[in-house]
Amino acid sequence: MRTILSMFAKSPFKPLVSHIDQVNECVSQIVPLFEAYKSGDYKKVEQISQKIEKAEHKADKIKDNIRQHLPQSIFLPVDKRDFMHLLSAQDDIADAVEDLTVIMRLKNIEIPEELLESLMDLVQHVVDTANAACSMIRELEDLLESSFGGAEAEKIEKIAQELGTSEWEADKKQFLIAKKLFSMDDKLNAAELFLLNELIKKLGGVADQSEKIGKTLRMFLSR
Amino acid sequence: MDLNTFLLVFAITACVYMACNIGANDVANAMGTSVGSGSLTFKQAIVVAAVAEFAGAYFVGGHVSDTIRKGMLDPSIFADVPIHLVYGMIGALVASAVWLNIASYLGWPVSTTHSIVGAVVGFGVMAGGLDAVSWGRVGKVVMSWVISPVMGGLCAYILFRFISHQIFRRRNPLLYAKWLLPYMVFMVCVILANAMFYKGLKNLHLDLSFVEAMAYAFVVGVIGFYFSKILVKKVPDVPKREIHRQLESTENIFKYLQILTAFYIAFAHGSNDVANAVGPLAAVVSILKNGSVAMKVEMPSWILAMGGACIVFGLLVWGRRVMETIGSKITEITPSRGFCATFGAATIVLICSKMGLPVSTTHTLVGSVIGVGFARGLPTLNLGIIQEIVMSWLATVPFTAILSAIIFKILLITLG
Repeated sequence: MRTILSMFAKSPFKPLVSHIDQVNECVSQIVPLFEAYKSGDYKKVEQISQKIEKAEHKADKIKDNIRQHLPQSIFLPVDKRDFMHLLSAQDDIADAVEDLTVIMRLKNIEIPEELLESLMDLVQHVVDTANAACSMIRELEDLLESSFGGAEAEKIEKIAQELGTSEWEADKKQFLIAKKLFSMDDKLNAAELFLLNELIKKLGGVADQSEKIGKTLRMFLSR
Repeated sequence: MDLNTFLLVFAITACVYMACNIGANDVANAMGTSVGSGSLTFKQAIVVAAVAEFAGAYFVGGHVSDTIRKGMLDPSIFADVPIHLVYGMIGALVASAVWLNIASYLGWPVSTTHSIVGAVVGFGVMAGGLDAVSWGRVGKVVMSWVISPVMGGLCAYILFRFISHQIFRRRNPLLYAKWLLPYMVFMVCVILANAMFYKGLKNLHLDLSFVEAMAYAFVVGVIGFYFSKILVKKVPDVPKREIHRQLESTENIFKYLQILTAFYIAFAHGSNDVANAVGPLAAVVSILKNGSVAMKVEMPSWILAMGGACIVFGLLVWGRRVMETIGSKITEITPSRGFCATFGAATIVLICSKMGLPVSTTHTLVGSVIGVGFARGLPTLNLGIIQEIVMSWLATVPFTAILSAIIFKILLITLG
């Protein structure tokens, strides 16, 4: 007699947290990655890139697993589309970090002195933003328990707002660095200009996806 | 051995077999949410179920049993040859038992209630054509099969929305949980006590009026209220900021409530399902004793007691493993959600028992769990089960009806 059992399917929310753990693993490597790149230690860049690739691959497997276990007949307490968007946003962060490693390994560039400080500042800012987004996902269990209301919901709401502000600030920083970069077009060659700009854009992308996580979680609250 | 004794023994054997089956399979489903949420270990659940099932069967099992034994067929078709009704009832028991075994073997979730109702209608039609069945009554029963899961769902939905609003969405859920618990304990105690006292104690020759029953029930409720207040004081407070620990402690408070509702649903299940085994037997006993199909006598309490005891026996001997399996596999339900689902289902089933309507406790519980899911109480819910349930209805009733009719015919031909 298995009637009652077949009603309870595997929850997709736990794997979602496992997924964000892998994403967080990628994010935690961003600062070491840039440290290695700026000090010209290209062997280390290669090493860290391998680590990131592994974590991104693990995240992909978890993502596919989640998608496979969500057939039509499963009912979630949130909009299924919102759930999928959340998963995509999480995965996009991991992808963006991997893209950073690809760009870095295309060419060994010496980062100009004038850009170093603001670049590392942007890096740290983006990493903080991404970590905040990851922390939100770890609150999901309590959010479910409190039925999407109460103190948990307020916490999520607050962090989502902070993420929005954080992303806006990252945009501003990104703009300023890019402006500085292009003002140095006489000192840098085309490849360096292009690739450095790509790095800056990708960093901005990580902040964008982090904000997206906050926005989607907010949708969970309202539905 | 003369024919009558042989038939009586045959009927009792079939009844015991059905009752053991009910205990072995059905009870585990009813207790599933309580064990799965961690409120009871499977061993504790068995003890609670054993006591509650018997109590439910003995005190409130008479109404549904009456429906099964005399409420569905027109007695006049058997008036000339009452012994045929005996053949039919035996056929019904055997057919149901066979179907349960086949379904068990194939792993299908089927309802003992639907089996016996289908079987009784089956031999009735074989005996006296379509006019032999009281279609009005049977129609009501079939409608209750659809309405009970829906009502169970509605009840659970409303209850969960209530505690979600009053407790979980507060900044200090533990505080509100502690405050609300005694009131909910009071409510469950009053309902249970009332169900037992009002019309339930006839077997002990104590016929209380509604007001008297309510009064005693109120007393039981008040005792429960103060007892739970004492229990609640023992739970340590958690600072408002630590929301995670607060939620954990809140769920622990609901564990107390779940123990109570586990008893409640086992009681309701016993009160409704014992009839599936003893209803036909009661008909057989009545006819063999009085020689007529007019069953004016009340359900003999020894039959209810026997049915209840057999359910408990089936539970203890075979139901243990099923209970352990179901309990260990359900992990997504928490005590608060389990409480809402169990309470909703138990209330609807008990109401149906009082109204003499045989319903499936398992299906009603499924409805309740879905109700909690729709109220956003569960992380995930597989709605595919609804299809499984409908399929099981479509398979069960025709199969038992036809098999019962065949067995009836065989008995008719061989025994005359």
